[in-house]
Amino acid sequence: MTNELDCRGLGCPAPVLKIRETLEKEAPAAITVLIDNEAAWQNVCRFLEHQKYTINTEKQGPVFRVVGTRAEGTAAPAKAPSAPTVTERKAGKKIMVMVTSDHMGHGDDGLGDMLMFNFLKTLKEMGPDLWRLVFVNNGVTFTAEGSEAVPILQELAGEGVEILACGACLAYLHLLDKIQIGEVSNMLDIVTGMQLADSVVTI
Amino acid sequence: MPNKPIRLTQTVKGSGCAAKLAAGDLARALCGLDLPVDPDLIVGIDKADDAGVYRISDDLALVQTIDFFPPMVDDPYCFGQIAAANALSDIYAMGGIPKTAMNVVAFPAKTLDMSILRTIIEGGLSKMREAGVVLVGGHTVEDSELKYGLSVTGFIHPGRILTKRNLQTGDRLILTKPIGTGIVSTAIKAGLADQSLTDRVTQAMATLNRNAALTMEDFPVHACTDITGFGFLGHLAEMVVDSGHGVRITAAHVPMYPEALEWAAMGLIPTGAYNNRNFRGSFVDFGTNVSQRVQDVLFDPQTSGGLLIAVAATEAERLVHALHATGIESAAIVGEVIAEPIDRIIVD
Repeated sequence: MTNELDCRGLGCPAPVLKIRETLEKEAPAAITVLIDNEAAWQNVCRFLEHQKYTINTEKQGPVFRVVGTRAEGTAAPAKAPSAPTVTERKAGKKIMVMVTSDHMGHGDDGLGDMLMFNFLKTLKEMGPDLWRLVFVNNGVTFTAEGSEAVPILQELAGEGVEILACGACLAYLHLLDKIQIGEVSNMLDIVTGMQLADSVVTI
Repeated sequence: MPNKPIRLTQTVKGSGCAAKLAAGDLARALCGLDLPVDPDLIVGIDKADDAGVYRISDDLALVQTIDFFPPMVDDPYCFGQIAAANALSDIYAMGGIPKTAMNVVAFPAKTLDMSILRTIIEGGLSKMREAGVVLVGGHTVEDSELKYGLSVTGFIHPGRILTKRNLQTGDRLILTKPIGTGIVSTAIKAGLADQSLTDRVTQAMATLNRNAALTMEDFPVHACTDITGFGFLGHLAEMVVDSGHGVRITAAHVPMYPEALEWAAMGLIPTGAYNNRNFRGSFVDFGTNVSQRVQDVLFDPQTSGGLLIAVAATEAERLVHALHATGIESAAIVGEVIAEPIDRIIVD
């Protein structure tokens, strides 16, 4: 099913908000958007790419006709609230793991560091059920230059686990340019992921 | 009338969004105009500087500027404060002291209550008082959309004018406020920004550049401008192009609102940011590590942004500490002036 949104005459940020609303309601496999100004066009492209759509623009006179299709377009979740593409894996269920700190539990930090490192190393035992690994707050340091966890995370990513690092956290810790593994993400992705996951584990 | 909550940003088409005419369009409109000549006009329209400067005597010159725009926040008092701080900023960026101001108002009297206008002007007055400026008059027209700002006149010593030119190799560049307010304003208009961020950004936009200007007086500052509608890179380009120097910016050191980075990735970017990139993008070389969202924020049009100061390298750290000490906590060294490549901005 193709959705068509006529956003002609709308300035920023209205077209993006309109598309966002449609994606949240229907998560269509394909969406067509008509826009008549360049800034709105660029914003819509950024937004759809951010939501993992592949985009194609045809310019017809002053009108941009943007067609966005989901990478694995065939089987869009019927009622997904948003549109981050779910990696097709033969998983029994989807587990999302949130890593909110650079150590595990409260108490001696040396012990906590060791436990967390061990935890990340052992995560692969979840097998294909491990769907997404999200790093927030101090946890983002694992994804950045200088972290010994980077090869472990690379291995998980190779297995198809989605690795997300909170952009605001990276920026706050001045690590945005030092990220080695994973995709820079935001709260909307994280919250959407919580809804899509069968279970969310927070460490 | 009781105070009904009115969202000023919903009454206008462009907030941070489309308020300023694209620099490229403006340059085309002004190109080749026959301008009157006067030996006492030290900084005129041809210099495209922050404010004009006219010499009265050997030790006194007038520095003049005007700025007004549609609301970028919903609260009338805050809008007045921000518009006034923004207009006064051009005087500070020249190294001048603002003295008098006139209100410039376009008001939709048919759709907005007059009490809103009064509140806006009260907000403006609060900033004029803080700056030691007297309001001498103003001009109000009826318009379909609200706009407010000031025309400001200040004093400056003709020998101590800080223009955008005069970069020197090795100078460090210091930025005094975080960038990303255009994107955040777009998110405010879209109803996506929470109150705490709205408050933080509103406060930053309403902050005068006065302390920054007073602090830099004691340092070997070679050039200065303020960051507004053309964005960080647009205003930096005005300093660099035809200067005979280049600059190298470290993107990770440029203070930014983290939320603006997130919204940039979502495509909540004001039209002005694209205009700024179209006009000045050709002077900028981005390293491969500088993500699209960071580039977008670097071109994001700012309202009442900070000062961008070029200071001798040896004194740069000391100036940053002095700025921090006066409460300008975001001030940071963001780059340096290099001998070559000339007229280029390298961002990595």
